[in-house]
Amino acid sequence: MIAAALHGIRRSFGSAPALDGVDLELRAGEVHALLGENGAGKTTLMRILAGLDRPDEGTVEVAGQPIGEFSPRALRERGVAMVQQHFTLVPTLTAGENLALARPPGRLRPGARQAKRRVAELAERYGLPVRADVPVERLSVGEEQRLEILRALDADARLLILDEPTAVLVDSEAEALLRTCRALADDGRAVVIITHRLAEVFAGCDRVTVLRRGAVVCAGEPVADHDRASLATLMVGTAPTASSGRQRVPGAQVRLRLDGAARGRLQPLDLAVHAGEVLGVAGVDGNGQAELEELLAGIAAPERGAVTVDGEPVPVAAPRERVAGGIAYVPADRYRRALAGPLTVADNLELGRGPRHRPPAARRQARAEPVLAEWDVRGGGPAVPAASLSGGNAQKLVLARELAGGPRLVVAAQPTRGLDPEAARMISERILAAAADGAAVVWFGAELDELFAVADRLVVLAGGRATEPFTPPYDRGAVGLAMAGGHAS
Amino acid sequence: MTMTRDPATVPAPDGVLGRVLRGPDSRAASVAVPVGAVLAALVVGGVLMAVEGVAPLSAYGEVVLGVFGRTRGLIDTAVMATPLILLGLGVAVAYRARVFTIGAEGQYIAGALAGTAWATVGPPLPGLLLLVSGLAVAVLTGAAWSGVAAWMLARFGASVVITSLLLNYVAAAALAWAVRVGIRDPGSFTPQSRPLGAAALPDIPGTGVHLGFLVALLAVPALAAVLRRTRFGFRVEVLGAHPEVLAATEARPARTRLAVLALAGAFAGLAGFVEVAGVTERMTPAFATGYGFTAIIVALLGRLRPVGVLVAALLLAGLTVGFDEAERVFIIPSTTVGVIQALIVVFFVAGDALSRRPGRRRR
Repeated sequence: MIAAALHGIRRSFGSAPALDGVDLELRAGEVHALLGENGAGKTTLMRILAGLDRPDEGTVEVAGQPIGEFSPRALRERGVAMVQQHFTLVPTLTAGENLALARPPGRLRPGARQAKRRVAELAERYGLPVRADVPVERLSVGEEQRLEILRALDADARLLILDEPTAVLVDSEAEALLRTCRALADDGRAVVIITHRLAEVFAGCDRVTVLRRGAVVCAGEPVADHDRASLATLMVGTAPTASSGRQRVPGAQVRLRLDGAARGRLQPLDLAVHAGEVLGVAGVDGNGQAELEELLAGIAAPERGAVTVDGEPVPVAAPRERVAGGIAYVPADRYRRALAGPLTVADNLELGRGPRHRPPAARRQARAEPVLAEWDVRGGGPAVPAASLSGGNAQKLVLARELAGGPRLVVAAQPTRGLDPEAARMISERILAAAADGAAVVWFGAELDELFAVADRLVVLAGGRATEPFTPPYDRGAVGLAMAGGHAS
Repeated sequence: MTMTRDPATVPAPDGVLGRVLRGPDSRAASVAVPVGAVLAALVVGGVLMAVEGVAPLSAYGEVVLGVFGRTRGLIDTAVMATPLILLGLGVAVAYRARVFTIGAEGQYIAGALAGTAWATVGPPLPGLLLLVSGLAVAVLTGAAWSGVAAWMLARFGASVVITSLLLNYVAAAALAWAVRVGIRDPGSFTPQSRPLGAAALPDIPGTGVHLGFLVALLAVPALAAVLRRTRFGFRVEVLGAHPEVLAATEARPARTRLAVLALAGAFAGLAGFVEVAGVTERMTPAFATGYGFTAIIVALLGRLRPVGVLVAALLLAGLTVGFDEAERVFIIPSTTVGVIQALIVVFFVAGDALSRRPGRRRR
């Protein structure tokens, strides 16, 4: 039986198409894996099915009925429920109160005993234990997720969508979750698991759809017809890899060194990056890149091990010392870590490096002019708020500041993300130029093609561990397989 | 997926208060809204007086005369504006950094109390030295009182709004104890401290206004210069814009927050001692008059700018002084001026919200 069918779904944000004519068919009684890299469009597609977003074009049918109105409520009434990657429970309420909030039993807030009983009944019926008498903030992540699922089932979901459900779980919990999904499917429901982990596709799914850059490259084929290598190739594509073609300086000194550095999800890591070298770091989100980025930029201290640049430890929580020490930081999220949106462009150039006594505003702005011209930052000059710049110009502003003064280490996290090709090209060139001037560069990338083009060596982070470095010419299939190996058990 | 979303469109973490504080987009609205709010509040206040059977225009005429029609009116206005300016400057700095302290009242009391204790039961010092050291004690005490809230935030994550508010009650209790027991004037029948005597502030020559007013006036350009021309001022702005950006590029937000709160407390402590040394000359149980809360209105009306604070403080002081005078002529309930002040705040906040309707929203 067809639980839901999506036809010709198109959706774009700004000028970038996120979904480019996607077809998908989901059957009751099946666990369906939706596989793809970051940004392939998996979540966008499922948000549309759950009524959290609407398609620009295309039709959605649930249980044979076309959907006219895209709203969470409308789709919930048709039995579609989605457990999002970031939970949507109220942390100060108990499990029962959260359930009551989603589906109020009446006008009054239910009594504690009543709320608790409701949780207990559901938990027993579906075999998903959740403590009912403590606030949600005190539950473990696994419990929170089970509660999210219970809340969906409480509304009698016939089609349950789980977005990266195992990303936050330990292995044993992940296995239990897959068993739960199987049981729900056996019960006649349709289950969709959004994932980029091959291991769980083979462990718990019947059919698999692979998205690549907003298009279907494998449409609901039985998992049994595939192996890990074939799915990895589908995820990352087979285009020939362009090599960087850059000459590494032989015998250059080691600038950046990690000795068993570990923090959070990131397992102890040994790395050495030489002057003039670009080290690419690939991997899907949540596998330790954010932690590594924070270690290198001195946002956080390593829990174990050491991070040194030219033998000196990276200063932690002392950004002006970081700047003085020649560490340039281009964060993945520029409006969270690099730019103060309400402040002017000139003020943003001054972050981390201005003098103790500031010259008058007019002179500060006059000094910013040549920098903006050199970096081709367009959008209104030094006196406009940084928030008014377009993405490309904002990123050029960050680079103009961070690369000033010849850095020794450049930490660039997805520096070209979301930029137009012209700006992306310029930013790549300038970072490579910094490397040519003797900086060690660590480049975190989301797109393999870009990493292949810029990196002298490439490591893949999966499950918090780094692979042995890949070297050019890069084997796309091997890199893709390494990326999908997170949580491999 | 998330990566297709431009982070610029994601609003900074911001409460309702934060949105009001950010002010409207255009410069015109940033002045028009407070001016309009004051006018609207006066109109509604006039309607209320008319309902009470008082001719509003005559009453307002008397208010204006009460301030400008007699020498005493301007003097009283300047004297009353003095603590409001100093307190308002401190609050404005904190709010620019999005550190929402409402503890100015407590810091004001604590500063006044400590300064008075120093000057009345401390070491016997000659006049000027006593005054200056008393001021220093008051400033440090105010800063420390405010710093407690910063410390509790850094150590326990306790909200500054809550802790700074509660510290006001601690200060009020300390005042009640001190004037009855701690620094009580043994020769006095009623609970009060000894008079400051030599530590009292002299008048500005040729006027009836104590020197504290001059101090407050000088503090306005001084603070403006600090905000515009120093690294600390820059960090205040960055902290107000985005603490994480500050942490990643400039300084630890906790340290900047501590500095901001200490500065706000220093201004409040200064205001407190200036009020004792210039006006009351001793501490009494009635010393706490709520200036620390009025200062929040002053800072908001003044758009968190030093000059704006000066204007707003003079305006609110003038209104109060003028109404005091008008009450002698007309039968106006003494709460009228309080109602008008409250209406100013309501119209001000509403006006800001209206000037930022969807369509003109800042990115």
